[in-house]
Amino acid sequence: MTEIIAENPARHSALDDAQGIAYGALMAGFGVVMLTHLGLVTGQTAGLAILISYATGWAFGPVFFVINLPFYWLGYKRLGLAFVIKTLAAVSLLSGLTMVLPRYVSFETLHPALGAVLIGVISGSALLALFRHGASLGGVGIVALYLQDKTGFRAGLTQLLFDACVFGVALLLRDGQTVAWSFLGAVVLNLVITMNHRRDRYIAT
Amino acid sequence: MAADPNTPVSPPPPEPHYSLLEDIQGLIIAAAQAALGIHLLRAAGLVTGGTAGLSLILAYALGWNFSVVFFAINIPFYAFAYMARGLAFCLKSLATVTMVSLMAEGLKPVLVLQDIHPGIAAALFGISAGVGLLGLFRHSGSLGGVSIVALVLQDRFGFKAGYTQLIHDLCLFAVAFWLLPADRVAWSLLGAVILNAVIAFNHRRDWYVVT
Repeated sequence: MTEIIAENPARHSALDDAQGIAYGALMAGFGVVMLTHLGLVTGQTAGLAILISYATGWAFGPVFFVINLPFYWLGYKRLGLAFVIKTLAAVSLLSGLTMVLPRYVSFETLHPALGAVLIGVISGSALLALFRHGASLGGVGIVALYLQDKTGFRAGLTQLLFDACVFGVALLLRDGQTVAWSFLGAVVLNLVITMNHRRDRYIAT
Repeated sequence: MAADPNTPVSPPPPEPHYSLLEDIQGLIIAAAQAALGIHLLRAAGLVTGGTAGLSLILAYALGWNFSVVFFAINIPFYAFAYMARGLAFCLKSLATVTMVSLMAEGLKPVLVLQDIHPGIAAALFGISAGVGLLGLFRHSGSLGGVSIVALVLQDRFGFKAGYTQLIHDLCLFAVAFWLLPADRVAWSLLGAVILNAVIAFNHRRDWYVVT
């Protein structure tokens, strides 16, 4: 197989990547702050971390950071050092922000349905930026990205399958209505990614 | 590949275009991010640039409703949008401005902030509304007014849309200094710089190839 190499491939500079990752971490961080304020869950590694956080009372940030540690090895082997460094940066930044942000922004009223949709939109947009800049929020995202790059199987679909498992567990821990709003948010998030994560359209790497 | 080896080069693929559904979801998501940004900004008593900033300043100074002012100010610009870039752009801008007006008003009862630090409001506004505008530009929409002028300048002369808006914003901020406390203006400035940096960094026709 002859590899086709574009004559003038579009490349992100380090600064381009840094601003993309900062956006992804801050936007997702605000999403997590709204999510935990409402007591909702979500899918992916963040969803697993939130379930553990609710069940044990530990803060989301440290749990999320620790859960991701084992995945960096797969990330390194399959997707390379740059990907691991960017993902570590995004995960660390997100973990830290979820510890700090609640001190500076708090909610008097936040309707759970609106919250769920907003969380889906902003977290979906955050993940999209991270993916386009060759990063992820770790764990399942690494597996999902690996599958899309290798087999073309949409990253959004892999995440949807994992989410189904997380939500099964969530039904045991939270009430039905909370899980229903959470489900709405996860659907919005995954739709944003499925419709917009297109390597053929956003060509820079 | 069963191509005839004598065939020199395969014809270039047709230029990719968004489907209607893709444009609709893009404009809805972008409008939601823009409205969220404006809502956070308003909660902290900050202003911004662009037509939205002009509307916020009028809303603060005269006690008018932001969404009504924002919708009304944009009306004359649709004619310019139509002349400059055609009917689709004009209709998309009208749809987005309408959505942002409705969403910014709709957020009031369901998302009430107890407390938000103006620095956090500025940062969250900058990235949320910045990426919202980016989404609008990529789906050939806009938030009307100044951003239409900015887009036309980038298309015709290659002058970056972010810079046009920065110049307009500086004029608005000069007015804001007369109306608001200095610290609010400083935080507002931070938000506007972040927003314009998001656009200047990421609005790249050579990276994002679909229209």
